[in-house]
Amino acid sequence: MLKLVDLTVGYGAFHATHGIALEVRAGTVFALVGANGAGKSSTIMSIAGHTEVHGGCIEFDGQDITHLPINDRVRRGIALAPEGRRLFADLSVAENLMLGGYARPRAEEAANRDMVLDLFPRLRERLDQRAGTLSGGEQQMLAIGRALMAGPKMLMIDEVSLGLMPKAVDICYAAIARLRERGITVLLVEQSTKRALEAADDVCVLESGRIVWSGTAAAARQDPAVIEAYMGLAGDGAHG
Amino acid sequence: MLAFELTVQGLVQGSIYALIAVGLTLVYGLLRILHVAHAGLFTLGGYFGVLITNATGSLPLAILVAMVVVGVLGILVYRLCYQPILDQPPYVALIASIGLFIAMEEIYRLVFGPFGISYTDAPLTDTVTLATLNLKQGEILTMVGTVVLIGGLAVFAGRTRMGAAWRATVTDPAMAESFGIDVIKVRYLNFFIGSALAAAAGVLVALLNNLVEPTMGSVPSYKALAIIVLGGLGDVRGTLIAALALGVIESFGTIYLGTILDRDAIAFAFLIIVLMIRPQGLFGRA
Ligand SMILES: Nc1ncnc2c1ncn2[C@@H]1O[C@H](COP(=O)(O)OP(=O)(O)O)[C@@H](O)[C@H]1O
Ligand SMILES: [Mg+2]
Repeated sequence: MLKLVDLTVGYGAFHATHGIALEVRAGTVFALVGANGAGKSSTIMSIAGHTEVHGGCIEFDGQDITHLPINDRVRRGIALAPEGRRLFADLSVAENLMLGGYARPRAEEAANRDMVLDLFPRLRERLDQRAGTLSGGEQQMLAIGRALMAGPKMLMIDEVSLGLMPKAVDICYAAIARLRERGITVLLVEQSTKRALEAADDVCVLESGRIVWSGTAAAARQDPAVIEAYMGLAGDGAHG
Repeated sequence: MLAFELTVQGLVQGSIYALIAVGLTLVYGLLRILHVAHAGLFTLGGYFGVLITNATGSLPLAILVAMVVVGVLGILVYRLCYQPILDQPPYVALIASIGLFIAMEEIYRLVFGPFGISYTDAPLTDTVTLATLNLKQGEILTMVGTVVLIGGLAVFAGRTRMGAAWRATVTDPAMAESFGIDVIKVRYLNFFIGSALAAAAGVLVALLNNLVEPTMGSVPSYKALAIIVLGGLGDVRGTLIAALALGVIESFGTIYLGTILDRDAIAFAFLIIVLMIRPQGLFGRA
């Protein structure tokens, strides 16, 4: 579904990744883990078209999308729930959802909305509320829901659990599992490896812009110490 | 009853300020540009109003043409003057805008002549008496027209899909783009609407004064800049309130302070005092 080939991305003269390669298989959940500053968001945002690509290429669905305009990527089937959610805070929940489906025919809107509200019933009670007034967990649900309104083939979620109450984390991971059942590919970013390893099919560990470990989540679960070691090396010192 | 009359007169003037300042605050909200040349489009609206009315005898036609043509010119101003320098520091666009405004005034002087132009047969000059109040038809049109136009804008922005896309783009252009919104089209829309409203203001001012002249945009341009700062840059609601408030303050000021300060001086004294007390604008958070 998605292939990064020797991808170097960054900001001006600064490289945030150094020639990374990975493949996300269709219908699977792929976890990109690594410590703060490893380059996870830069990678995700380059796939969405926001971070400059300095070298290599991005292939999606067999086509080179490295230099595709940002607003065409959603039409190809890539949707984004970015770090920090970045909801349209002054707009209502309903409007945020509607705009998530902006690139789709209007005829699909009602059905997609029902699907999202079925996934996150909590949002149904909040449709007329300003997005900025939601709790952190609800905001994450809305960010994921907004992305799903685009009817994506691949959903990218940056920092699924960061700053959320455990209950909200459960809801988000349950939703990811259901999306996987429906055949939607998910590329997620996590700093908390435990949840990511449980949810994912494949895992890749990023450290200072380089891939230091990749393999199946099953293999990683067998030997979590390996991953923890890489995470630890990167200096966040977290246990878990 | 004098207070009531002064308030209404102030609201008439405030409506004009509101129509001009809304476009300015919309441009600031979207692009962080102080669009000084906006007042040049206001002036052009005034010329279209007088010239088309004189040629065809139809004020509604003049208003419509002025709004559409000036709206399209607003898009061109963005495309030719601002878009090429968007990645430069903000003062670059400001300087370009001031330059463009001066150029526009000179072009009007060359094309339309240095002296004012009036209606050959000025429309809507009859006085209407509403209860105790004497108002010219033009003044009523100004207030009603402003309510209709701003109300229409509110409905468009608040109730339509495109309006929501517009507001989303103001909040986070990169995310809006990620969901398939064409942010360039949103900018065109933004300039079209703002410029069309300024053109309507130009036609109405031409009607109220029965005069258009090349420099009629100068004072409104300063005042509109001050109003949007007062209203909280980019805040449409705040800008509307600040515009109406300024109109009313001026109206009272000319009666009670008119012997010491003229109308414009009163307006600027008010703006300076407010900004000294609340530099973040009337409604902004500190
Ligand atoms: N907008 C930016 N401009 C310059 N450098 C940035 C920007 N965003 C991130 N970086 C740098 O890129 C590197 C990777 O950051 P990021 O991709 O956000 O990491 P992660 O998401 O893994 O925490 C860091 O060194 C960070 O400081
Ligand atoms: Mg990040």
